[in-house]
Amino acid sequence: MIIDPIIRDAVIFASMLSLLTLGLTLTYLTTKVPNFAHGSFASIGMMSMLTFTQLFGLNPYLSVIPIFFIGGGVALVLYLFVLRPLISREASFVSQMVATIAFELILVAVLNIYADYFTQTFKIQSRGFLIRRADVRIFDQPGVFIAAPTLAIAGVLILFMVLNKTRFGVGLRAAIENPPLAGSLGINVKRMYTYSWFIAGGLGSVAGSLLALWFQGKPDYGSTMLISIFAAAIVGGLQNIYGAVIGGYLLGFVEILGTRQLGLSIGPWMTVYRPLIPILAMAITLIFAPRGLAAVNWRGLFRYFVKGVGV
Amino acid sequence: MIAEQQLLTFLLDILAYFAIYLAVNTSLNLEYGLTGIPNFGKVLAVAGGAFVVGAIPGRVLANYLGILQGFKAVETNPALSVCREPLLILVKIKPKILEGMDYIEDNSVVGDCIRRVMANDPMLSVTLLVATVGLAAAVGAALGFVASYPAIRLREDYLAMTLLAMGEFLAQVGYLESNLVGGTKGVFAPDPYGWLGEYRITASQLVILLVALIFFFYMWQISLSPAGRVLKSIRDHEVAAEVLGKDVVRVKQKVLIVSSLMASVAGALWAFNSQSVIASNYDRFTWTFWPWVMVIIGGAGNYKGILLGTAVFVILRRTIDTYRYVLEPLIPFSLVWLDRLLFGIALIIVLIVRPQGILPDRPTPAIQKPYLRKIIETIRQQK
Repeated sequence: MIIDPIIRDAVIFASMLSLLTLGLTLTYLTTKVPNFAHGSFASIGMMSMLTFTQLFGLNPYLSVIPIFFIGGGVALVLYLFVLRPLISREASFVSQMVATIAFELILVAVLNIYADYFTQTFKIQSRGFLIRRADVRIFDQPGVFIAAPTLAIAGVLILFMVLNKTRFGVGLRAAIENPPLAGSLGINVKRMYTYSWFIAGGLGSVAGSLLALWFQGKPDYGSTMLISIFAAAIVGGLQNIYGAVIGGYLLGFVEILGTRQLGLSIGPWMTVYRPLIPILAMAITLIFAPRGLAAVNWRGLFRYFVKGVGV
Repeated sequence: MIAEQQLLTFLLDILAYFAIYLAVNTSLNLEYGLTGIPNFGKVLAVAGGAFVVGAIPGRVLANYLGILQGFKAVETNPALSVCREPLLILVKIKPKILEGMDYIEDNSVVGDCIRRVMANDPMLSVTLLVATVGLAAAVGAALGFVASYPAIRLREDYLAMTLLAMGEFLAQVGYLESNLVGGTKGVFAPDPYGWLGEYRITASQLVILLVALIFFFYMWQISLSPAGRVLKSIRDHEVAAEVLGKDVVRVKQKVLIVSSLMASVAGALWAFNSQSVIASNYDRFTWTFWPWVMVIIGGAGNYKGILLGTAVFVILRRTIDTYRYVLEPLIPFSLVWLDRLLFGIALIIVLIVRPQGILPDRPTPAIQKPYLRKIIETIRQQK
């Protein structure tokens, strides 16, 4: 089967973007502060994937498991040692945002130091590396082309099941919806938040690690991807994890396919303006539907436009 | 003698960085310290101003002087007689420039020619400086308005995300788009101080310092004025300010316009100072994060805090930078990352331990203290 390579790019990018957006939204729901370091979790995943496959010769899909724990662990550091002390001192939203930015500064620095060290010690390229060859082939397709959407969809389904069918999930939702009430019912709200940060960080790293199997990896890949993650989260509404997945897929496809379309119809120089797409999506959503796609009254809109009845 | 010379260069270097960051931090203090707007896209306005310098005056001059038509046009134009000699040599190496030149491709040739022309024409230089800075100010103000427009009515985190995305967008486009400011290679910036000869660096630094001090004085006076109290009321309690009849959205927009204008002027002056515009120098770290670090460590909202934060940070960083060659062999990675790491950790510690900064912001009295004392005295005497 021959598939247009741009479709592969789009599927992989969109799946992983939706996982990253999911993580961002999950942490936003708990602390009500966007995590500006979230993009760098993807970079952590990337660098870990490089290390595991190139240095230890591990199978990329086995490496995903330790990478999940590495990302989760870093997210715990951010939550437990940076954000929680700030929250307990009643720091403002802006202070908490600045703290996550400072954490990103640290992460980018550490990743770059690691990249320098890695290249010098093992003589393996760590900036602009391509490790597609480490990938396995499934059904005569690159493995990541199958694995990325599978993982994204499975992740969402598992999260859905956990949130709705288990005691833990109900407790987590309660802790997000109404922390004092959940606390009075004996749910340990702080522990619930800790778990969601761990999951978010882990998912972010896994997303980055799979991106590394297809796209050119570098230690600040995640920082540049931050625009897309924010745009997808805002389009999804920032308050709804299913909205986040939809926003991630939508913007991922629009960004990749739209950039190509612009390049074909207007001229190749347009491809430089790729970040314009998420930015426009973000601006339009904020102006017309600031609570995101998930909160739009679709039935009302349908009636308004198709049947001509007032909203 | 050489040691003295080195020390002087080092001090002037610190002074230049202090001045430029004072201007940028002043604008950030107006936004964050006084009004509470989390502008995580400070780089947007700074890069906007710098890109104006890289993209517009050089092109305008090159077109006006007719350099782009190639060497033949240069030969006939008496105004361009200064760049005939060097071009004569170049023509032998690159015969293409006989017919015409491309602004981006032959940027060094065009730039050199313009620089020679401007060095002999103080009038043109000063006009160009003022006009470009004015244009940069307008562009900065427009950027401040446009970038904040989608999210200005929403909660501060939406605004922060939007502004960060906008700043990152401009930085990325500047880096990837070669027609704007030369992309990865960069472009020359016309040198409006060239006619001053050996004093050009000093003059440029003094201009930046003067502008920074004007901005600083403006911000300081605003913070003491009734308008400043409006800003602080919005920072401390938006709803309360709204109840008292202040149009919060309009005020925030005005603040963003004014502060982006300041940052943009700073960016333009910095581009003139460094004589070139390389897009990769206008990144999120240098022009968004460092100002935030300085403002927060010094004490947001307090004008003394801004001065102190800027001075401490600039002196520390320039010292690290200057003695880079001592440290570099000792560590197996580039020193750039080490100071990001250290300042990131320092910022988090300051945020947790002393979130108000070294010099916290205090309520400003509506009446100056001496007057207040006088009034208290008279009341006491009447009793």
